[in-house]
Amino acid sequence: MSGTQAAPHSLAFRVMRLCKPTFHVETPLRFDPFDLLTGEDLLNDPVAAQHLPRLLGSQSINSKSTESDLTYRSRFLLQDPYDAVGLSGLLVLPQSFGAIYLGETFCSYVSINNSSNFEARDIVIKAEIQTERQRILLLDTSKTPVESIRAGGRYDFIVEHDVKELGPHTLVCTALYSDADVERKYLPQFFKFIVANPLSVRTKVRVVKETTFLEACLENHTKSNLYMDQVEFEPAQHWSATLLKADDHHSGNDALTREIFKTPPILIRSGGGIHNYLYQLKTSALESAQMKVEGSNILGKLQITWRTNLGEPGRLQTQQILGSPITRKEIELQAVEVPSVIILEKPFTVHLNLTNQTDRMLGPFEVWLSQSDSHDEKVVMVNGLQTIVLPHVEAFSSTDFQLNFIAMKLGVQKISGITVFDTKEKKIHDPLPDLEVCYLYLGGLVSTLNIFVDSD
Amino acid sequence: MDATEALEHHPHATPPIDPDPPRLPSPPPTATATATDPLNNPYASLNDLSHELSSLQELATRGSWRSILDKVARARTNHLLTKPHEHLTYLSFHLIALTKLRRFADAVAELDSLDSDLDSPNYHYQSYPHHYPNITGSMVPFVLRWLHAELPAKLGNRQETLDRFYTLLHFVRLKLSDSSKLSHFCVELWKKREVFVINTIISHHLSHKEFVICLALIKDLIGKSEGSSSEDKAALLSKLGYVQMQFGDLEGAKATFSLIEGLVSEGKGGVEMENLVSRNKALLYIVGRDYVSAVREYDVCIERDGGDAVAINNKALCLMYLRDLSDSIKVLENALERVPTAMLNETIVVNLCSMYELAYVNHSDIKRTLSNWISRVAPDDFDASSTRI
Repeated sequence: MSGTQAAPHSLAFRVMRLCKPTFHVETPLRFDPFDLLTGEDLLNDPVAAQHLPRLLGSQSINSKSTESDLTYRSRFLLQDPYDAVGLSGLLVLPQSFGAIYLGETFCSYVSINNSSNFEARDIVIKAEIQTERQRILLLDTSKTPVESIRAGGRYDFIVEHDVKELGPHTLVCTALYSDADVERKYLPQFFKFIVANPLSVRTKVRVVKETTFLEACLENHTKSNLYMDQVEFEPAQHWSATLLKADDHHSGNDALTREIFKTPPILIRSGGGIHNYLYQLKTSALESAQMKVEGSNILGKLQITWRTNLGEPGRLQTQQILGSPITRKEIELQAVEVPSVIILEKPFTVHLNLTNQTDRMLGPFEVWLSQSDSHDEKVVMVNGLQTIVLPHVEAFSSTDFQLNFIAMKLGVQKISGITVFDTKEKKIHDPLPDLEVCYLYLGGLVSTLNIFVDSD
Repeated sequence: MDATEALEHHPHATPPIDPDPPRLPSPPPTATATATDPLNNPYASLNDLSHELSSLQELATRGSWRSILDKVARARTNHLLTKPHEHLTYLSFHLIALTKLRRFADAVAELDSLDSDLDSPNYHYQSYPHHYPNITGSMVPFVLRWLHAELPAKLGNRQETLDRFYTLLHFVRLKLSDSSKLSHFCVELWKKREVFVINTIISHHLSHKEFVICLALIKDLIGKSEGSSSEDKAALLSKLGYVQMQFGDLEGAKATFSLIEGLVSEGKGGVEMENLVSRNKALLYIVGRDYVSAVREYDVCIERDGGDAVAINNKALCLMYLRDLSDSIKVLENALERVPTAMLNETIVVNLCSMYELAYVNHSDIKRTLSNWISRVAPDDFDASSTRI
């Protein structure tokens, strides 16, 4: 009959996070003999200048060999001037677990110690990561159990896991083993950590003429400075992207410094630092009617690779970034010909073309110049029929027509308000955002046409 | 007793200046000797510079800072210092000792107790012509200015330290701008001090991970290093490479290290340079996670120089990343025993203790053994808290 008290474990797990080491940095208390043993201006004196260099030079580190030197002079004297930076290249192991972020790799040294006086045998070891959503097996020695860990001995392994989820994670280490007692023992140990979000990305999209501009602002939420190794925009199909950068400021007195410092590194400060990227996107598709699709406009996504100490990498990609939705352009209205000279109060004709960009027959249409609500003088008046009737237009074809106007004001003028009404579907098509003047879009009140009106 | 009490100002007038004075032999050590008389060298030994300076220097190289405190106290109490500058030299050693022993408040108090500013005429050679005939300028050891700037940070006031170091840099540059007054050797010395101060500033910014400004300062130093030796240039570029690696610019670090290799092939090499290049190569292997090749490079360094503590320490870390905790511990323990004066370094002890904590459930015993050994062998300024007992 086994007692109610559990037998003590012979084995225990010891765990240490194994991210990359860091360089030790410390302002040293090491000096040049000339700065300590004499007054700072003594060497002005010619006698001192003649004798002291030899005397004080013999005090330097380099005049003694290193291996046979049994003093701690290297803790007191500078060997080369740059020792004063305090960056000897000495590496330090990670001293604490630290923070861990999405996109990084969790790496850990795990050591199973046998601190008892008895051998442990047939050890089945498992290590897995448990999150809210899943369990990921990192190590399993079921098929080939560790034969033995002697008294006072150890069995070590290293586990790695790419962190792809936010929130609480648990590294579960278990050992099933036999020792001096009859029953096999089961040792579970749990090591918890939380994964946080390292970056947030805010995007803005603006369309100017044929070009779409995407501005991405990256904000660093971690406790370290992040070196942006690669931030690349992967455009969606039919799009191409170019990163826009300010001109590099090539400063530097000589070729060497210019060479070394030619591309300043992008480092985003810890705890809220930001950096902005600007991309110019163009559709590589032909401007044909068929390519314009209603609904969402997927531009692409950002792939981000950052690095922290000694190049420890992290990788994330954003979700699909959307551009402004493309309005369905069922009908396109264009000015084909405008007279080069327009005389005040004399009629002039504008030749227009209406294109059906859908795959079905549309129309018939009515076209008129809508009256503006403002009390300003009209720029033009329609000469003749106030409403023009256009017949059906077949799928993917167009029709030409004319509008006759009389100019009412001198100078460069805009004709706005050319409206197209589909009499069968009984609708005026939706207005479009601010547009270039050389096109006439179905925008109801936004259609404009630039003309120059001269006097006689 | 502070320096100012002993400094007396002798008000008698200086004799009229003869443009070409005959050089007469006078009793050492303050007299000027004839340039052609090597037997009458007033600076034959350190003790000619200051009272028992050889002994002070010896104690310092052995790390016997408590003995230095005693020696300075005794010299002051027994009025053994007869010249004004000796008080400043003893003050410097005293301050360094207090700082090394982490008695920062005491060091600041002592420095504050000086009645005069470091630029005061009380500290000029020409204020004491009977002690220092024909010598002009400041008798302040430069280290006193450096300590004056460094100490506030030790008491938590980092901003004051940075401000003082930038001010000190300006002071040094002013000296250099008026270099017509200085001998060639003096100009070289002040240029070294300029580099010293910039290096200290870099280390402060680096401790706070202000990498962008470190790069700017290093760039400035590289620009000034045209006339330096290959060894010095290589050392400076290595710092650049380490900074780049520290914040993650691996491509930049690689490019910097290959520049160094170019320098080494130009210069005469020597074990120091060869090991520097090998250690840099090993670091590139480490960032590429090729720990086996890194260990190989470090072994080459250790073969060339058995006291290369950086190579030994970094090799031990690589063994850990290769899952070989036992060997990593052995490497550090063996080296500590074999070359203690090279290896006894707080960072190396921190690494070894981290390894002990991982390797042993009951690690306090083995850490205590280490701690006892350290207390027998280490210099006075060794920070015993690095064993984290």
